Amino acid sequence: MEAASDKKALLFWGLFLVVFALVPISRNDYYLAMANRILVWGMFAVAFNMLFGVTGMLSFGQALFFGLGGYGVGLMVKYLGQAWFLAGLGAGVAAAAVVAYLLGYLVIRVSGVFFTILTLAFGQLAWQITFRWYRVTGGDDGIQGLVPTGILGDHIVYYYFCLILVACSVWFLKRLSASPQGLILRCVRQNPARVRFLGRRVRRNQRRIYVISSVFAALAGGLMAGVDNSIHTNMLNWTTSGEVILMSVLGGIHQFFGPFIGAAVIKVIEDVVGARTEYWSLIIGLVMMTMVLLFPRGLVGEWVSFKARMRSGGARKEGV
Amino acid sequence: MRGKAWALVALALAMAMLVPAVAGAEDKVVKIGALYPMTGRAGLYGLDSVAAAEMAIAEINGKGGVKGYKLELISTDSQAKPDYSVQVAKRYITSDNVHFLFGVVSSGVGLALTEVSKQYKKIFIGTDHASTQLTVDKLQPYYFRVSNNTFQSMAAGALDLKERQKAKPWQTIAYIGPDYAYGHDQWNELKYNLDRFGVKYKVVGEYWPKLAAPDYTAFITSIIKDKPDILISGLWGGDTVAFIKQALPYGLFQKTLFCSPDAGGNYEVMSATGDELALGLVLSARHHNNWPGTEANKKFVSDFFKKTGRYPSYSAEGAYAGVYAIAQAVEKVGNPDDAEALVKAFEGMKLKLPEDPDGFTSYIDPLTHQIVQVQAIGETVANKDFPPATRMLGNWKIYKAQEILPPPEYLKEHGSDYLKGRMK
Repeated sequence: MEAASDKKALLFWGLFLVVFALVPISRNDYYLAMANRILVWGMFAVAFNMLFGVTGMLSFGQALFFGLGGYGVGLMVKYLGQAWFLAGLGAGVAAAAVVAYLLGYLVIRVSGVFFTILTLAFGQLAWQITFRWYRVTGGDDGIQGLVPTGILGDHIVYYYFCLILVACSVWFLKRLSASPQGLILRCVRQNPARVRFLGRRVRRNQRRIYVISSVFAALAGGLMAGVDNSIHTNMLNWTTSGEVILMSVLGGIHQFFGPFIGAAVIKVIEDVVGARTEYWSLIIGLVMMTMVLLFPRGLVGEWVSFKARMRSGGARKEGV
Repeated sequence: MRGKAWALVALALAMAMLVPAVAGAEDKVVKIGALYPMTGRAGLYGLDSVAAAEMAIAEINGKGGVKGYKLELISTDSQAKPDYSVQVAKRYITSDNVHFLFGVVSSGVGLALTEVSKQYKKIFIGTDHASTQLTVDKLQPYYFRVSNNTFQSMAAGALDLKERQKAKPWQTIAYIGPDYAYGHDQWNELKYNLDRFGVKYKVVGEYWPKLAAPDYTAFITSIIKDKPDILISGLWGGDTVAFIKQALPYGLFQKTLFCSPDAGGNYEVMSATGDELALGLVLSARHHNNWPGTEANKKFVSDFFKKTGRYPSYSAEGAYAGVYAIAQAVEKVGNPDDAEALVKAFEGMKLKLPEDPDGFTSYIDPLTHQIVQVQAIGETVANKDFPPATRMLGNWKIYKAQEILPPPEYLKEHGSDYLKGRMK
């Protein structure tokens, strides 16, 4: 059983890497840009879901860290020059770690909807500061010209750079999710009181995953700056936090890869439907409604249960 | 229940596959990839721009196109979101193989797209966004703008204030504008131009409401308390409308001269305020439906009305100009593929537009890639020619194109490396 699932995991990872690694071979810049976007947003969504799906903490403020990553790169390049792109990426991630750690003490004092509202409030605060402090951040004009120097300046090289970072990050998160620590996080979601009885600290574990998730959100933000070559205050707005929640719900919050698939589907819908009608957000809305009403387990969740039902010849009871 | 749901999905998928690929099988086309907000606050600007661009395309194609090419516009709702617009622009370039990027109302989106245009060496024609940065600080070889920027309108505003000071001395000035880059840029550029033209003034107040603020009462009472002789407004669209409607009961417009040289005179404001628009306000916009009184302008406005059933806001003429600029460049080069030759064709291009008065032809400044146009500033007067508006602008003052351009020292101080390199 163990060996079989190991083999399956290996196959999955192999497939994942091969598919994304082969995209540049198509020599089609369109697919490359799309794949790059999916990778970065996919990582953001998976990291977010460690907080939401796994630990049960619905943060409505992850845009704060996504933006921090982006503005780490943006401000470094704006004030120190293009050579500081990578340093900016590091600085954004480091800043996110510090901010998440400190903020953690404030927002993790409360749970449930209060936690959600607090994260939203801090996210909007950061957005307002960036938006209004236009002398430093460029405000609504954003920051442009974010092109890494050296070989990373090439689209394809940058794509592989993202692929490697995303693959390592997702692998790390997967390991974390499957580890004893991941088990504790699930327990925190399901029954915090029992976690305390077991002698584990709920808040410390929550803070830990809050910092980890935020660090990867910042990494995604920083990488995105290089994909678009520009950043804008929208990155920090609550709509960004909302988007990553949609991705997770669409893909399925109780599946590790669900949010990744959700991110891919939303990005593709945005682009393909957006090309045909200005009402693409309506389509996303309809898709979400269908999902939530008919397939609450999300795309991946439903697929998994569909497979399980096929195997047992449809004899399984509904709703398991 | 579950099985039914899956059947539903299968059906939806099947239907999606049935949607025919409607790619035009035209052999020779000039593809223009437009990005405008089609929904939300700035939606009217996008709708008017696309309608006017389609009108220009129909006119050109009706005459047989250019050099055997037909023009074709593809348009996507940018939602005024820079990151999404970058995604769409990349799709335009890499998948739809457009020859030109086109459009944009928000300067934030414009700045993000000029970066894409630079990376992919694809010409980007700006039709509406006004930030001076695009043709100065961030100028790159493949960007051209066919409507005035805020520097030009603020320079015209400063000249107007200078004349007014001579006629009836004023001393104090205050500013109200949205608290984001566009609002701040206008105020800085106005002060720069007042200083440049040697106007003496004292600033008695600056007010920064949020974009789309619903309530201006607090600002209106402070303005009345600060008693400026002149109130400059950098508000646009619905904000101007809300401010004017709310200021009216306070008698603000009797106490101070309200002056909004960049976007305050947009037809959108006149049609939304009707009789509530006070008389004697000093306003301007990038195009006026009743100025100049040339045949070309009358035809443009009435054609637009025939097509859409409404009169155009200023953004329409920018898009119209953009299409004609593209047609003219392609005509000169002979094909839409040679970006370098097209850049040369745009530089210095003369373009006769609806907004040009008799005896003047707009041209694209070869140095800054910015179109150079006359700016007319008017006062609100009663005029029912363009319903539902009951006020239009009149008592025009005309400012010559050359006088309102950024001077060389401004370009030297703020210009991008590309611009500075060309100035030597």
